[in-house]
Amino acid sequence: MGDIVLKTHLALFLVLVTVALALVLPFLLPWSYDQIDWNAVRAPAFSGSHLFGTDEIGRDRLARLAAGTRITLMVAIAAALVSLIVGIAWGATAGWIGGRVDEAMMRIVDGLYALPFMFIVILLMVVFGRSILLVFVGIGLVEWLTMARVVRGQVMALKQRPFILAAEAAGTPSIAIMLRHILPNIAGVALAYLMLTVPQVVMVESFLSFLGLGVQEPLTSLGILVKEGADDMDMTPLGLALPGGLLVIILVCLTIEGERLRDRFS
Amino acid sequence: MSLYTIRNLAVDIAGNRPVEDVSLTVEAGQCTALIGASGSGKSLTCLTPFGLTPGVASGSMLLDGIDLGNADAVRIRDARRRLTGFVFQQPLTALTPHLTVGAQLQEATMQAGAARPPRRELSQKLERVGLARTDERLDQFPHRLSGGERQRVMIAAAIAHSPKLLIADEPTSALDASLRAEIMDLLDELRAEQGLGLLLVSHDLASVEGHADQLVVMDKGRVVESGPASDVITDPKEDYTRRLIAATPRLDEPGPKLPQPGEILLETNLLGVEFARPGWRRGKLRALADANIVVRQGEALAIVGGSGSGKSTLGRAIAGIGPVTQGGIFWDGLPLPERRKRSLAMRRLIQPVFQDPVASLDPQWRVEDIVTEPLRNLRPDLTKVEREELAQQALSEVDLADDFLIRIPASLSGGQAQRVAIARAIIGAPELLVLDEATSALDPLVGAEILKLLGRLQVENGLSLLLITHDIAAARRLCHRIAVMEEGRIVETGDMQAIVKDPRHPATRRLIAAS
Amino acid sequence: MLALITRRLMTAIPTLLVIILASFFLMRLAPGGPFDGERPLDPATQAALQQAYGLDRPLWEQAWLYISRLVQGDFGPSLVYRDFTVSELIAQGLPISLTLGGLAILLALLIGVTAGLFAAVRAGKATDKTIMMLATVATALPTFVTGPALALFLGLWLGLLPVSGIGEGGAWLIMPVVALALPVSGAIAKLTRAGLASVLKQDHIRSARARGLSETKIMLKHGLRTAMVPVASYLGPAAAGLLTGAVVVETVFGLPGLGRYFVQGALNRDYPLVLGVVTLYAALIILFNLFADLIYGWLDPRMRDG
Repeated sequence: MGDIVLKTHLALFLVLVTVALALVLPFLLPWSYDQIDWNAVRAPAFSGSHLFGTDEIGRDRLARLAAGTRITLMVAIAAALVSLIVGIAWGATAGWIGGRVDEAMMRIVDGLYALPFMFIVILLMVVFGRSILLVFVGIGLVEWLTMARVVRGQVMALKQRPFILAAEAAGTPSIAIMLRHILPNIAGVALAYLMLTVPQVVMVESFLSFLGLGVQEPLTSLGILVKEGADDMDMTPLGLALPGGLLVIILVCLTIEGERLRDRFS
Repeated sequence: MSLYTIRNLAVDIAGNRPVEDVSLTVEAGQCTALIGASGSGKSLTCLTPFGLTPGVASGSMLLDGIDLGNADAVRIRDARRRLTGFVFQQPLTALTPHLTVGAQLQEATMQAGAARPPRRELSQKLERVGLARTDERLDQFPHRLSGGERQRVMIAAAIAHSPKLLIADEPTSALDASLRAEIMDLLDELRAEQGLGLLLVSHDLASVEGHADQLVVMDKGRVVESGPASDVITDPKEDYTRRLIAATPRLDEPGPKLPQPGEILLETNLLGVEFARPGWRRGKLRALADANIVVRQGEALAIVGGSGSGKSTLGRAIAGIGPVTQGGIFWDGLPLPERRKRSLAMRRLIQPVFQDPVASLDPQWRVEDIVTEPLRNLRPDLTKVEREELAQQALSEVDLADDFLIRIPASLSGGQAQRVAIARAIIGAPELLVLDEATSALDPLVGAEILKLLGRLQVENGLSLLLITHDIAAARRLCHRIAVMEEGRIVETGDMQAIVKDPRHPATRRLIAAS
Repeated sequence: MLALITRRLMTAIPTLLVIILASFFLMRLAPGGPFDGERPLDPATQAALQQAYGLDRPLWEQAWLYISRLVQGDFGPSLVYRDFTVSELIAQGLPISLTLGGLAILLALLIGVTAGLFAAVRAGKATDKTIMMLATVATALPTFVTGPALALFLGLWLGLLPVSGIGEGGAWLIMPVVALALPVSGAIAKLTRAGLASVLKQDHIRSARARGLSETKIMLKHGLRTAMVPVASYLGPAAAGLLTGAVVVETVFGLPGLGRYFVQGALNRDYPLVLGVVTLYAALIILFNLFADLIYGWLDPRMRDG
């Protein structure tokens, strides 16, 4: 089974299909994600214009699923990009300068690693109000740690490579060595870890939303949908199964593709 | 009957047959050496019959009456347990990190079924291989020992159960030059003492000379030539063997004809380099102290020493790619500042070439961009077309065709990559090349060609060379003078021929003995 | 070894202090307070409450008071659960959360290491690939999906296990612990498999094989300990993950653990409660990282000197 998934890029295909559907469906469906169909509360699947039925107050499940996926992925990608930028800047600076600066910068990363970061994010949510911007800034600022470590390790290793010394002897300025030799050589690994950060962030965002601390109504996200489904699961299990299943599929597929990239570049 | 006889051995791995039709014998108490370049199949030949590689061996392999060719895995394991001992190339990783030296030696002693040995016996085994403070060593973990010490422990473990055949796969290649001779002498002694047969694998003909009774030369998975060692070396029958012997530098070969040196170009005055200790600890590590060297126009100077002797630190300081903390470097009498303060015009004068040819080239760049990198900084006046012309010219000087310009480093062999690195170094018309072990990662034949190429550049372009190496015999082919280094200091310096003939300092003697 | 422990403790205490102070000031920066209910209190009552809880004093004085009490084990009063002190709530909730987390990590180690060993022994075969694919899926199973799903199947539909609250015996623990352990076990299986695969390629394994040892003995005596190093270094993050997961699991299964108090506290701005739980969790995670470091040193003696 594992073989088939890896050989056919099934995982990548599923992710792309999900993204495409999440983007396109809102324009095709007759219902928007927050529109209430008073005639069809808790409608079963395949009833009328509601392919997957409606929830306990009559909103179309498919429309909500598409909207939730879009928000979840948007937050995830934005937060992963924040982590990429912060992580590369921090890690590359520490690795390139080296010595005590590196020592101090990595100590800070070690210290932050030891934090119960989820609780800090929750604390931030509580303090600054529950805005979606804050969700991804908060998550991105936490998830950069791994990226910083990886990038720093790569830069340290590259710095010792003779071709960097040869570039210095050839008169190439430091900034050009960084841009033309170091960054292109860490791009692959950074991309792989970016891919692996996305499912991490999806997980964190859904977790927060599930607890009611992340994305707020009327906006919706996969975590909120799982929460709504769980509250109503004894009546309509579909409400839990759809967002829960979709979330797991997205997480599995992104992890598989990320690990494939990581293995190729390291 | 011979102790170990291989007839028509073939090795198959994943549908390939990297070794075919190999025959050799090892007599009790004697040494058979298997010589070949990397990828010649010499390690596979030694290890596959004992089930220590992923390959499958076929043919006849008779060890002390047991036919390994027809034995199943259990009987082969039994043969390993009772009859053979193994020493591998990497002493740093060959011992299990979480078991003490004593525990591993005890395991080795008991492997053929002996009773648990008393501590004193283990201690004696370590003493026999030349270790001091053996009682303390038994309780140490391997990482506390130096490379040479670990290799001695490996040898003690390999012979702890009194095997009949010792198989040593490049036992000295990862060790410092000055240690190699000692380890080879130890193997000789043990062989004579215990009547051990020794099957020795090496890429270096010079290192086995004087130790091997039989010589087997391998190339591309086949035996090229075999016979008594003295016959093969003095009177090789095959062309490959002849080239290999010619490529192997020897101290007793006639001295080379070298160009006459001109004026003094480079001079260092009490040059010193100190590094801050890692972490927040106080104090400094002194890598280089009071180094005074002189290089004249067209002259080649060899900087020779073991690892950690400071020779690379000196080379990097001169090439402007490493720190300088004391003293000064002068070019034509004018001071050369360190690293980042060096101007582009000064950078042009000195260019480095490194040991690892593959790591010397940015894997993301094409050869053309790699070779022209110095021009883009040092000669901003040139157009793209002019740069390309110069790149072609530089490639032709290192005997590479124009079509290499569009290649990427991953598609180059080690020798080709090193030629590209040399082309990059000479394209800006430098006056001094700093060559840091530029041939030691290459196969002997390829390394000899690179040495020849450098010799030609020395004569035709009037280049001065600073040759940093552990190998005096190789350096002697190019260098007028030599400076021997130990623990960050130059301990002996002078004319190459004179010092080879009459070394004064013990470090020099050790290095000469190892060549 | 002792030096390593002291060094770690030396960094742990300031780290903890920074966390406490940062959280403290962060919470006080927040607009709105714990007494902003639906119905606004009259100013006099508001002021009286502020004074009673010391909220009218300067911030730094409050911080100093808080820390000096903390040292004596006093986490202050809860603002929402008004009849309890935070220490009482912690004393009540911590055992439940620790039981959940402890059992989950044991289960995860058991499943993960066994699965990883099996996969490594059968490297490259179908068993290996299936186990690894399952491990990837397991790591991607969020507790807030598996928790409700388990409750639905085993609790509501099949009626095998209790869905909510602490019951008699240990049956109430099964679903929360499984939901918590699944993602961690997947990660441990992957690390074990990768660790063994890379160790079995190393030179010292070849040395052991050259001595004619049996493959089992090679694996157990020469391979396994080094292969466990990545697993040990994962234990710190795993503990943090489990504590976080416990928040969800306690909410889903209605267990009065620390995590649930934390969420309640966060939603209601119960400063002392949230601060107390964060402090405790930070201390637990730091302690667990220290523990992981010790295991690390035992597994690979090279780490003891670093």
